[in-house]
Amino acid sequence: MQRILIVEDSATMRSLLAATLEELGDDVKVTEAASGFEALRLLPREDYDLVVTDINMPDINGLELVSFVKRNEKYSSIPLIIVSTEGSERDRDKGLGLGADAYLVKPFEPETLREVARDLLSPSESKG
Amino acid sequence: MAAKKTKRKPARPSKADLEFVAEAEEILERMREELADLADQRSSGREVDPDLVNGIFRSAHSLKGLAGLFGFEAMGKLAHHLEDVLDSLRLGRLSMDSPALNLLDESVELFSRLMQRLGKSNFESEAQSSVEELVARIEASLQQPAVSSDDFKTLDLDPSLLRALTEYEEHRLRENINRGRHLLLVDSTFEIVAFEEGLSELSGAIRELGEVVSTLPSPGEAPESQIRFSLLVASDLSCSEVTERLDFPDTNIRLVIAGTAEASKASHVAPETQDSSTPSPPVADAPVAKQPSVEESKADLSAGIESLKSISDTVRVDIRKLDELMNLVGELVIHRSSIAGIAERLAADSTTRRAAGELSKAQNSLGRKLKELQASVLDVRMVPLRQIFEKLSRVARRLQRDLGKTVNLKFDGVDTELDKLIAEKLVDPLMHVVRNSFDHGIESAEERAQIGKSAEGTIRIEAYQRGNHVVIQIEDDGRGIDPTLVRAKAESLGLVDRDAILTDKECLALIFAPGFSMRDEVSGTSGRGVGMDVVRSNLSDMGGIVDVTSKLGRGTTLTLTLPITLAIIQALLVGVGKQRFAIPLNSVLETLLIDCSEIQNSEEKEILNLRGEPLHLRRLSDEFGVTPSDEDRQYVVVLGLGELRIGLLVDRLEGQLDTVIKSIQGPIAQVRGIAGATEIGDRGAVLVIDVSSVIEDALRRRDAA
Repeated sequence: MQRILIVEDSATMRSLLAATLEELGDDVKVTEAASGFEALRLLPREDYDLVVTDINMPDINGLELVSFVKRNEKYSSIPLIIVSTEGSERDRDKGLGLGADAYLVKPFEPETLREVARDLLSPSESKG
Repeated sequence: MAAKKTKRKPARPSKADLEFVAEAEEILERMREELADLADQRSSGREVDPDLVNGIFRSAHSLKGLAGLFGFEAMGKLAHHLEDVLDSLRLGRLSMDSPALNLLDESVELFSRLMQRLGKSNFESEAQSSVEELVARIEASLQQPAVSSDDFKTLDLDPSLLRALTEYEEHRLRENINRGRHLLLVDSTFEIVAFEEGLSELSGAIRELGEVVSTLPSPGEAPESQIRFSLLVASDLSCSEVTERLDFPDTNIRLVIAGTAEASKASHVAPETQDSSTPSPPVADAPVAKQPSVEESKADLSAGIESLKSISDTVRVDIRKLDELMNLVGELVIHRSSIAGIAERLAADSTTRRAAGELSKAQNSLGRKLKELQASVLDVRMVPLRQIFEKLSRVARRLQRDLGKTVNLKFDGVDTELDKLIAEKLVDPLMHVVRNSFDHGIESAEERAQIGKSAEGTIRIEAYQRGNHVVIQIEDDGRGIDPTLVRAKAESLGLVDRDAILTDKECLALIFAPGFSMRDEVSGTSGRGVGMDVVRSNLSDMGGIVDVTSKLGRGTTLTLTLPITLAIIQALLVGVGKQRFAIPLNSVLETLLIDCSEIQNSEEKEILNLRGEPLHLRRLSDEFGVTPSDEDRQYVVVLGLGELRIGLLVDRLEGQLDTVIKSIQGPIAQVRGIAGATEIGDRGAVLVIDVSSVIEDALRRRDAA
């Protein structure tokens, strides 16, 4: 079972991300968080295999979430993908600098996200 | 909206000053809005709309021009610096993060504060010193480099926090540092299962005291069950003040950098809202402007509060709201009429006569108060003609350029007031008349020189009030209108019979006939009258009338006569046969009771000798096809509009009433001669006569006969 946490405040974008990632396979379970806070609450509940987060959110921003995940021993090994409308070099550097594994600029092809996600979800555990 | 003049303190600015204030206030109001938009855009982190910056620049530019025009040196200087800052911003020479931007609001407020002191003694010297002070600060701020992102590294903060700042948060951090706010770090630990409630409570409390720049979550000491939040906070309050006010368990507050903000100022206002009053040099060794003494800052502060008030004491109100109000007043008036009717009926019965007397008294005082209410509502709707005249001057300037004619436009009676609704409807016809004068009335400079006129033509527009009407005369010193040419043209257009005998005045009046135009072949010689019928029908729609007189070679005068308001009228109730009609009292000059034998017949026209003058009579029964009674004695209602007079024969006069004309829906609405309907208490509805069209029709029929 692959567990993916999607953190995105826009409901449309969130369900789009969920649909995209659910197509990775039948054993993929997607959990949706509508804010950074909700993500913080959900993180301890399950062992996630991947976190996909937006940057601009109302409570804490995606970078702060990435920073939290990477500084927390318990979660620091979870791969992270940032999906953002901010496409500047600076933002990308920031996100990757904090430890995010990938940085995708919206809009992107669903397949692009799936490819990145497939790479990050360890091959040994992925559906064969 | 009408500036209701209220009593002012004796030290009032001069009239010219007030003109300046009125225009400057408008610009400042616009700038305030634009600056607020700019602040929104800057804080949203989005790219600032260049059009907006350009717009603010233009506003500052107009302000500078205006101050220069009226000779206000200090204000001109202030506006000039404002313009400079905005120009640099507009051209990208100044970054959106420049501390100079924080002084824009303050400049606008200073300008508006100075305007309030206009006319006071030593105004200019006082203004000079406060402007110098602000200008010095603007200049100093222009030299200060904005804090850049790299500078954050020197801040005593966990790098993980800085690294997780979004661009927007960095912008807010920079902004707050530039504004001289204290930067604090608030650390608090929560149980992970219920952190949201506690955190939002904490953030809420902090937002009362300052701005939360960022919120970074970190693993708590027991990462399984706890979560720690580090809040980066900017505040005008010192660290100890914030600590004092934030009473939360497991919360630690420390100072990151001390700002220069004065805590006292912030003590009662949330820092978010008082950006403009927090001028402060960001870096310690930056050039610091002269700090005002305690006394000065006190005075400034109170002046700042005062400046929030508008100087002109006016409120903008949607005219529809006033219409509603007017309708309500009108309905009250009608209700009062029915109470009066009840009182009358009660008075007829001996058992209720006493009560009737009291009711009648109460009804009378209610009536007086209603009149006052009516008058005040009417007064609110009034606007000075100045507004329209200003529009005319603008059109005139353009016409001068387009037509290459030099025309001096003179206005008289600019303060004459008119109902806003009528004023609005007046703009087009008036514009039309003036354009005609320009186009066809005033000769070219060469032509004028040849006949010994001054090269510059003159159009004089005079407005004055006459009773319940406003009269506007447009007089030019142009070539005048040749009645024979008008007649010839009207004949060729089939507007008048070749055999008709017309006076010169009647010929001139043909320019208002529908379809009349001098344009094509005669336009070179005497071409007034392009669409003058439109002018007449526009005026007629508002119960007004237009009249023309002209002296060949000397000029033409058009006289527009309009009711001051349409909203409430006093009406004379008249009866013909079994019908009743209301005639607006403002057009009734007098009423007479005559014997039918006094009516003289001349060429199928009925004429009454009224004090030696012939008065043309019309029978109201003929106008609307009502069967009249065959009384020997008849009433004559003498109607007058402008210079026109007719007598209307009616059977009965039934009294006067205040009323509101309601427009009629359906086919009757199109009947010429009917302006609308009105209710008369319990006595049902009656039709209100449109005096202007009745008079016009009557005179036309007279002329055609």
